[in-house]
Amino acid sequence: MTPSGSTWPAAIDGDAAARIARLMFYGLLAIVLMTLDYREGYVDSLRTQAWRAIEPVILAVEAPFKMGQRLGEELRQRHALMDRVAILERERRERLAELSLLEELRDDNRELRDLLDASQRLVPDFQSAELMNIDLNPWSHRVLINRGSRDGLEAGQPVMDAFGVMGQIDDVAFNTAQVILISDPDHALPVRVQRTGLRTVAYGSGRINQLRLTDLPMNVDLQPGDILVTSGLGGAFSAGLPVAEVESVSRPVGEAFAKAVVRPIARLDRARHVLVVSSPEVEADDDTDADADATPAAVEGDEHTEPAPEAGEQTPTGEMP
Amino acid sequence: MSRHEPANWTLAASLLLVLPLTVMPLPEAIADARPYWAALMIIYWNLEAGRLRYLGQAFVGGLMLDLLTGSLLGQHALSLVIISYLVERFRFRIRFFPPWQQAAVVMLLLFNDRIVQLWIVGLVGDRWPSWQWWLAPAVGMFLWPWLFLLLDALRQRERRRKP
Repeated sequence: MTPSGSTWPAAIDGDAAARIARLMFYGLLAIVLMTLDYREGYVDSLRTQAWRAIEPVILAVEAPFKMGQRLGEELRQRHALMDRVAILERERRERLAELSLLEELRDDNRELRDLLDASQRLVPDFQSAELMNIDLNPWSHRVLINRGSRDGLEAGQPVMDAFGVMGQIDDVAFNTAQVILISDPDHALPVRVQRTGLRTVAYGSGRINQLRLTDLPMNVDLQPGDILVTSGLGGAFSAGLPVAEVESVSRPVGEAFAKAVVRPIARLDRARHVLVVSSPEVEADDDTDADADATPAAVEGDEHTEPAPEAGEQTPTGEMP
Repeated sequence: MSRHEPANWTLAASLLLVLPLTVMPLPEAIADARPYWAALMIIYWNLEAGRLRYLGQAFVGGLMLDLLTGSLLGQHALSLVIISYLVERFRFRIRFFPPWQQAAVVMLLLFNDRIVQLWIVGLVGDRWPSWQWWLAPAVGMFLWPWLFLLLDALRQRERRRKP
């Protein structure tokens, strides 16, 4: 592994210089690797390969905790479970009622779209997944889910919890997948302000409960409490999924753009069950361009394919309600 | 004490155990104060058994840790290489310290490592870790004597079994 490996430990006092040289060598190597990794792309495939190789370790560590959880559920009082089932049952009935109303609306919508000759809305398909118990390092805005390529997951698919967008699938192994959260500093998500229709990009801030809008025009009409939804630009996310709520808007004097801090609606730090949104099936055949866009883009791809944020007023017809 | 057979079950088992210990789920409140097991193992094996003394070994181990925890490739590698170098550099002094002093040195090493890692985190522009993260060296210090006793006992038993 090391050159002159057999002599070095013996000659402890002899070659301090050689040891420092070796330290420098490995230090530089590590720094080069980190740079390559940070600049993305160079070691991505290596990382994915290694992730696949390491997956058994992850599953092995996960197994006893999973079992413990199951056991805990088994031991829980029977009547507590009955109560829970009752609550869930009631909730389900309410949801079903709501759903039937929505179903009617959807039919109406389809007919209206047919009348208008507009392209059909895409109907997303969900796949539920559970977060794994594994803790990754404290800085990574990544979580593991218990679905992988076996379940047909692909890199780039959006991941939601019950409230809003959480992130995107990044690395897929056989049984597990890594999800990069929208709060990751590398992640950029094309969004639309629901109230005004303004389009912009929400960047991860590195804090779990915060995203940033950095390039808003100075005269932007944005108030605390405004809801951001995905705009569907960039193709990876279908339009209209709730993303975040505006917390504060600031217009720093002497700078070209206004900034805003927004809070993700999804419970990034607390969710245990998530939904993976499958690449939507196209209902009508005239929507070919959206179909082409819907191929999973790289996470950073969003950032590059995003048009200038000032394009708020030129709403494409495909997005019209 | 200087030379052992290359096949050493205690070493292999302790290294294998590092991976699950590193990603083992902990309650939210103390997850950040998770001790740096890999560093503790490297320090122990270098000091007490003269194993894992090459920087290359620390580097490869660090890379594996990076891949496992999904951190920046090279972050743990750099931190372990630095720890390995420092331990090797002061090996003969640390070895003959009384246990409590040794534990203090371990804490210093781990604390130094926190600073190295914070430097990397700062360069990358990630969020700074929570304050519990700074407790990890102290946790490592309190774990050190027990780890020391446990591994020593295991090694002695192994040595007795195959003379």
